[in-house]
Amino acid sequence: MLYADTVRNRSLSEQPVLIAIIFAVSCVVFALVGLHHTLLALPFLPQPEEHGLVTQGIATLVVAGLFTLNILLISRLRLRLQIFVVWAELFMCFLIFFFAFDLNFPFILTKLPFLLTQGVFTTLYVSAISITIATVLAIFGAIAKLSSNGFAFAIASFYTSMFRGLPLLVQIYLIYLGLPQLGIFVDAVPAGVIALSLCYGAYMTEIFRAGIMSIDKGQWEAARSIGFKFGLTMRRVILPQAVPIIVPPLGNQFIAMLKDSSLVSVLGVWELMYLARTLGQREFRHLEMLLTVAIIYWVMTIVFEIVQGRIESYFQKHHRR
Amino acid sequence: MNTFKKLAAVAVALTMSAGALQAGDVLDKVMADGVLRISTDPAWPPQSFLDENNEMDGFDVDVARAIAAKLGVEAAFVTPDWSLITAGNWAGRWDISVGSMTPTKERAEVLSFPAIYYYVPASVAVHNDSDAQAHSDLNGRTIGVSAASTWEQYLRHDLVIDAVGVPEFDYEIDPGEIKTYGTDIPVIDELRLGDGVRINAMIGSLPNFLDAIKNGYPIRVLGEPLFFEPLAVAVDLGDEEFSAKVGEIVEALREDGTLAELSEKWYDFDFANTN
Repeated sequence: MLYADTVRNRSLSEQPVLIAIIFAVSCVVFALVGLHHTLLALPFLPQPEEHGLVTQGIATLVVAGLFTLNILLISRLRLRLQIFVVWAELFMCFLIFFFAFDLNFPFILTKLPFLLTQGVFTTLYVSAISITIATVLAIFGAIAKLSSNGFAFAIASFYTSMFRGLPLLVQIYLIYLGLPQLGIFVDAVPAGVIALSLCYGAYMTEIFRAGIMSIDKGQWEAARSIGFKFGLTMRRVILPQAVPIIVPPLGNQFIAMLKDSSLVSVLGVWELMYLARTLGQREFRHLEMLLTVAIIYWVMTIVFEIVQGRIESYFQKHHRR
Repeated sequence: MNTFKKLAAVAVALTMSAGALQAGDVLDKVMADGVLRISTDPAWPPQSFLDENNEMDGFDVDVARAIAAKLGVEAAFVTPDWSLITAGNWAGRWDISVGSMTPTKERAEVLSFPAIYYYVPASVAVHNDSDAQAHSDLNGRTIGVSAASTWEQYLRHDLVIDAVGVPEFDYEIDPGEIKTYGTDIPVIDELRLGDGVRINAMIGSLPNFLDAIKNGYPIRVLGEPLFFEPLAVAVDLGDEEFSAKVGEIVEALREDGTLAELSEKWYDFDFANTN
């Protein structure tokens, strides 16, 4: 959390001008998007066509009023409850969006087991292997980029420049199509894993480098003064302090990797995205499949977010400086 | 020692796959493994798709299984992206493509086409609201098509089909704008939005349109087919013996009526022996 100010600001409910502005803006927005056609106005206007401008205007006012009241009420809640209610309301909006498509739910249910056993499984193991290799690459890359050895620095900076500079999809194609030309035969899954590892290793190199650089020079000097060599300093002094700093950006990379693994679908790997594009084809039900995998991906990233939160709070407790 | 042997075997395998294919290489490998590895993209119903049990099914899949059966080996399917199949240089990842591929001159430079196994009509579809009555009404309009397909080449007046027994055709449409997509499905979805919302018409295979209409899509087929597209099995360049063998097998499947029967099963029409 940002710095908690002790000067108390006036809360929203104490500022009538602000409330009036919110009400006015929401009136204009709702009128512009033609609220009377949307699901929100259905309880007030069951048959939108039969009503004149006046009724529609009243409906707009009523909904805008409810919207403003909703914001007012939420602003009076305690912080935790506030967060929960806002989350719940945003999620409801998403669900309304989801249900507005006239989806075939039995079809989704019949395909769900296969999506989970084949798709989620493949996505997870491809991402897990790739992120592990990428982490190892990144540690070496970061040390090389910080070293005074010209070769190490040149190789590492060439590596990060190239793999951050090429689109991931291009890398996947290059590795899959290009390596056999050199006589190195790679299957679809290894080719995808190689591409994902190299690309994410390059991004994470920069994260590790920034983490190591954020540790004060004095720490190195202190370690050296008590006779620590480079490896020991790194393991015992620098990394323990750098890791808490790099956990949030690293969590970002994990989540991004999970979703970028969908690019491997072009190689014919039966992961989540590939199945989403393929399963609904026969029955012309691709929107169902796309929305289903959208939610599956989201749930997986939420799990990642929770794990990341736990790790962060662990470091906050145990490594407070 | 054991590890060393394994490594050596891998090294040998790598160097062998590096060199160009020798005559009989693929055939020998297929017969030795007892497996014919077939590439087909299950994003193209009813030729190839995943059925209720999430298994490969469709006309192409059935034909592929019939070819494998004639060879006396198992059929195994791999599903790379279409552009990877048409790019050639398969590096032995799969042995044959039974994927309704049109044998164009360009593709013949990187692949070999042992046999044509059926002919499919390429048609025009428009939204039900469209006022177009003939193909020429679409001149100057926006037309959607799947990328790198013969339909796109037709729209660009650049279609060369390098095969015997292909009926003559004329370029009947002068499109204003051509929009290309990954496969057929997104194009049909664009057309469904309404006449001219994103596109005014699309070109694709007639059976696919009929399937979409059966599934409630508000589209109609406009006029007669533009051209009949010969569709062939493809193998990688280099192994003439394998190519000849596949050609023989497909001819045998045509003679004994298997192809006609499978075509009737999937299209209610014999596309194997058109003309």
